[in-house]
Amino acid sequence: MALVQQVQLQSGPPGAANRARRVAGSPAWRLVGRRLLAAIPVLWGVTLLTYAIMSTLPNTTAQAQLGLNATQAQVAALNHALGLDQPFWTRYWHWFVAVLHGNLGTSISNQSVNAELASKLPVTLVLLAYALVVAVVLAIIVAVLAARKPNGIADRISLAISMIGLSAAPYAFAFVLIIVFAVKLGWFPVISGSLGSTPMSYFKALTLPAASIGFGLFAIYTRILRADLVEQMQREDYIVTAKAKGVPPWRVLIRHALRNSMFTLITIIGLNLGALVGATAIIETIFSVPGIGQDLINGIQNHDFPLIEGIVLVFALLTVFGNLLADLMYAVLDPRIRYGTSNS
Amino acid sequence: MALPIPEGSATTALPTLATAAPPPLPSLVSSRQLRMQRIGRSLRLWIPVSILGVIIFTAFIWPLVYTLPSPTNGNILDAGLPPFSPGHLLGTDPVGVDLFSYYVYGTQTSLEIAVGTTIIGMAIGCAIGVTAAFAGGWVDAVLSRVLDILIAFPALILVLVVSYALGPSKLHLTYALAFFSIPVFGRVARGATLVLRSSPFMTAARLSGTRNWRIIARHIMPNILPGIISFSLLGLGLVIIIEGAIDFLGQGIEPPQPSLGQAIAQGQTTMTATPEYVLMPSIGLLILVIALNMFGDALRERWGVQ
Repeated sequence: MALVQQVQLQSGPPGAANRARRVAGSPAWRLVGRRLLAAIPVLWGVTLLTYAIMSTLPNTTAQAQLGLNATQAQVAALNHALGLDQPFWTRYWHWFVAVLHGNLGTSISNQSVNAELASKLPVTLVLLAYALVVAVVLAIIVAVLAARKPNGIADRISLAISMIGLSAAPYAFAFVLIIVFAVKLGWFPVISGSLGSTPMSYFKALTLPAASIGFGLFAIYTRILRADLVEQMQREDYIVTAKAKGVPPWRVLIRHALRNSMFTLITIIGLNLGALVGATAIIETIFSVPGIGQDLINGIQNHDFPLIEGIVLVFALLTVFGNLLADLMYAVLDPRIRYGTSNS
Repeated sequence: MALPIPEGSATTALPTLATAAPPPLPSLVSSRQLRMQRIGRSLRLWIPVSILGVIIFTAFIWPLVYTLPSPTNGNILDAGLPPFSPGHLLGTDPVGVDLFSYYVYGTQTSLEIAVGTTIIGMAIGCAIGVTAAFAGGWVDAVLSRVLDILIAFPALILVLVVSYALGPSKLHLTYALAFFSIPVFGRVARGATLVLRSSPFMTAARLSGTRNWRIIARHIMPNILPGIISFSLLGLGLVIIIEGAIDFLGQGIEPPQPSLGQAIAQGQTTMTATPEYVLMPSIGLLILVIALNMFGDALRERWGVQ
């Protein structure tokens, strides 16, 4: 958000020379480069922090692999073989070098973390995409209806719904959904453990989890979009111009105001991606969706270092990518805004 | 903007017009509508405040005044009573624990953790955010990166690990949750301070040789606090929800101790047969968080933040 405050309005005549310079020095590409560079220390810091925090836990990897009957010597031998008896920085360095080579290591249950992520990550991404798309589409519809007449009936209803969505705990909401739609009505399965292979079975199994994640998102998006639309309709000159031209109110709202409010919405979506991690982990656990959120919780309970590190890295990438996307959308889509050269 | 009246001039019509009281603004809203708006505005503040008042009274003062049944030990003979049974307002759970008492003490726990977390997070986060924005330069760059790292780091992991490493307790949970609320407050404080930094009164304060700590204490803090406090009410609601999630995953408060998250987690095991054990604490949680959010919104409206 701080970035937004550093935007500069580019002024100057749109001459040919100016245009050529803009393409060559493409501020958007410079921005991509700068953001990617800034992302590197963040990603590195996250992995180091995770590694440091996890290493404060008692190391039970060898014991877990050998079983409870293993002798002290056997445990020590395996610890040595796995390199777990080495100092923290050595271990972290080995892990870090391996990650740079694209190898996330082996989990406590002797499986490749890469393979684990490859099989589980798509499910989580589909779930998140499902929740996001439905939340955004519904939010746009409801926000436009609400902004059509501020303080009208539609506005008040949408405010009430979004207040509930904002305040409801996702897990509590998930149980309400299960009780109503799975237990009483039987429309959807209670447990989404097996997703099936057809798109339809996927859709059926993931609907309740996606709704549990999406309701909160929908509430946030609706509130922000509605506020932005109302403000634009009251303040902006181009809205007055459009109205004065005799453009029908609906068209002003959708073609003029909504188009510009979308930038705000996209920024919020990007900035929120990282915050979805916690919700995903809990919702996947409740519905036993075989995604990386559930894996993360299991990993923590089993003290599975490499698995947790791998998943945290993926989630951190998602957060950084979301922030980058938000910045870029702002810079590329909205020609009124160009970023200044100062870093933030 | 009264125009000077030219004395003894012949064109008296114009000056009279100009000196007359300014014409009232075209009345878009009637006085009745205005009154309704004022009532609505105060209702938006006082409804959540009174709900919160009732909740806080019930959670903290009522148990001191009136002896509630134990929230952990029940009589097995009273097991599974429906709501509104004599002596048990909300009934009892499958082992005979009085649910009203359980929820009262659970709310107490949730509120204590949420308030503790928010105060710690607000204090440290504000300090980091204000320092970063005020100092600028490399200090800002480093502190902002640290905040970025903390934001990109899944809070849930930290909380779960802390409760593993230090053992689950209210205090440890508060520390862990506070750690993750620091970057959020940090960003808000930094953004608010950046806006202030270039304002004329800051320049004036600097030029008059005011010391940095005094500028921060007397000029920055009073200006950013309304925003931070109304934001912290949203944060309180969020912390209550997250704390419940951690209890739900079995890493928060130790099981015999009551908490709203525990109540939901325990009710979930018998969800198909007795959905009310899930629904009652969920609705309680919802009302508490809605009241906090509405209170925050009303304060923002009053103080004109954002």
